[in-house]
Amino acid sequence: MARTAAILRALGRALRRDQKSIAAVVGNNFFIVTVLVLQEAGAFLYLILGLILLFTLSTDPLRKIPVSRLGLWPLERRERWMLRAASPWVNPMTWLIGGSAVWVARGKVTLGLWGLCAGLVAASFVLSALPLGPRGTLWRRMPRFPEPLNHLIRKNLREMLSTLDFYVALLLSLATLAYRVWGPRLPQEALMPLTLLVMVALSSYAQCLFGLDGESGLERYRLLPVRGWQVLLAKDAAFLVLAILVALPLAPLAGFGAALVALAVGHHATVNHQREQIRWRFSAGAPVVEGLVQCALIATAGSSVGHSPWMIAPCAAAWAGSMWWYGRQWDVTAHNGDMP
Amino acid sequence: MITCRNLTRRFGEFTAVAGLSFHVEPGAICAFLGPNGAGKSTTVKMFTGLLAPTAGEIEVCGLDPRTNPVELKRRIGVLPEDLGLFDDLTVEEHLQLTASVYGVAKQEAKDRIAQLLRALSLEHGRRTFASACSHGMRKKTSFAMALLPNPRVLFLDEPFEAIDPVTSKIMRDLLQSASRRGITVFLTSHILPVAEEIATQLIMIKKGKIVWDSPASELPQALERHYFDLVESPVVEELEWLGPPRS
Repeated sequence: MARTAAILRALGRALRRDQKSIAAVVGNNFFIVTVLVLQEAGAFLYLILGLILLFTLSTDPLRKIPVSRLGLWPLERRERWMLRAASPWVNPMTWLIGGSAVWVARGKVTLGLWGLCAGLVAASFVLSALPLGPRGTLWRRMPRFPEPLNHLIRKNLREMLSTLDFYVALLLSLATLAYRVWGPRLPQEALMPLTLLVMVALSSYAQCLFGLDGESGLERYRLLPVRGWQVLLAKDAAFLVLAILVALPLAPLAGFGAALVALAVGHHATVNHQREQIRWRFSAGAPVVEGLVQCALIATAGSSVGHSPWMIAPCAAAWAGSMWWYGRQWDVTAHNGDMP
Repeated sequence: MITCRNLTRRFGEFTAVAGLSFHVEPGAICAFLGPNGAGKSTTVKMFTGLLAPTAGEIEVCGLDPRTNPVELKRRIGVLPEDLGLFDDLTVEEHLQLTASVYGVAKQEAKDRIAQLLRALSLEHGRRTFASACSHGMRKKTSFAMALLPNPRVLFLDEPFEAIDPVTSKIMRDLLQSASRRGITVFLTSHILPVAEEIATQLIMIKKGKIVWDSPASELPQALERHYFDLVESPVVEELEWLGPPRS
């Protein structure tokens, strides 16, 4: 019993430390913009953020213990069963869902919403506890791109698919698509703000494009005989592919213009202030002011392209110029052994 | 092929590498030996352009890493200290990436990759993501990446650690074969018998300074003995709490 309790205590500590990483959401452009601009009107968006966070924070706590370590501990069969049964209760999310059942009983939360949350928590727990490989077929089946950057772009796509930013954008995009297919007719004017919102959801990642490469990956980049603009191009290509994908049910050209500008601005923080990111969390980009400037420019670019498709040209020029400029900066810092 | 003069690297007050000067001939296998923290990896990083020297001169393949970084990187193969792998690429994708970036022709790349995967027993794990590979597999992948573009100089930081005996032997044979073809090998290692077996030049450093530099044939005694004499001697402390020794 004492051994199980000690493991559960350690597990709880590890889990709390891990869950502190959700604080990254406050440095995310999407969160900042919804709080500052939409305020109470952004309830639906907060719900989306909350559901995604709930899903990622509800994984099986026992996954925190390496399988080999768990197997090596001198635990009796009975103690292992106790650990299995007690481990979900180490996670505050389980208590949150259990506690909120009281609100349902008092009529403060609808049963549907509570059921959705409880279902997400249960699904996340069960899926993560299953002995499945973390990276399945989908992860391997990335589209092919032109050489020599093919594998770098594929890698960058996998990295971007490991951030929650993309899934917020995807949910918004799919919700709009569902509305357009099954709901009442959506006015054209509504598409532009939704497109901009989707691009804002992706924009923080544009400020930390190397965030998931880790020290080892960054070292490889510095050893490869490629120019800085090529490194950035491989990063940007992956970003643009996913940005276009989520913009397709909305205003694709405006979304493309906004994504180009998000990258043009984001290159500065990406190259000069590299911030390590955590997988399956929201990206935390540059300081708030820089993030707000980026969002303002995304809005300007997107709506300009929405009014006149020709405005895509200055967006593309800004992106190309930024890639050239910051590519040179990358060359200077990365190849002379003076990486920040 | 590799030359440095008065090479120095300081980190604030701490001097990691203090005025190294040496030369490695083309086709040589130079073992760069020293204890942890002696400055071996820092030196390799300076040769490969990953770290700028505080002072001194470097020349690799006739190029200065500071003025011709990209051209230099086309001519060298590196197995860095932390292996330089991307979590989101598989073993095979790492090799394909290397072939594309170094401009190896498609069919030639296919043949070389197949050969390296076979030689290093990586075939079964070719589709494993680097993040899911064992340390040994990761090291072999990084070694294969260094060799694949047929570089003029190989820089290998601790290539034999965490490698099974058979693969270690294959790697040693590959390095000797590369050396016979004129490729220069500069490696750091803690495994002295391996260094003694394959090196044609031995350099030992201690606290960032060279304490020995000679052709391997001019070593006055067994390498391990010489290393203990010049670099540091092992001091074994009895762990009494393990209990009394059995007679």
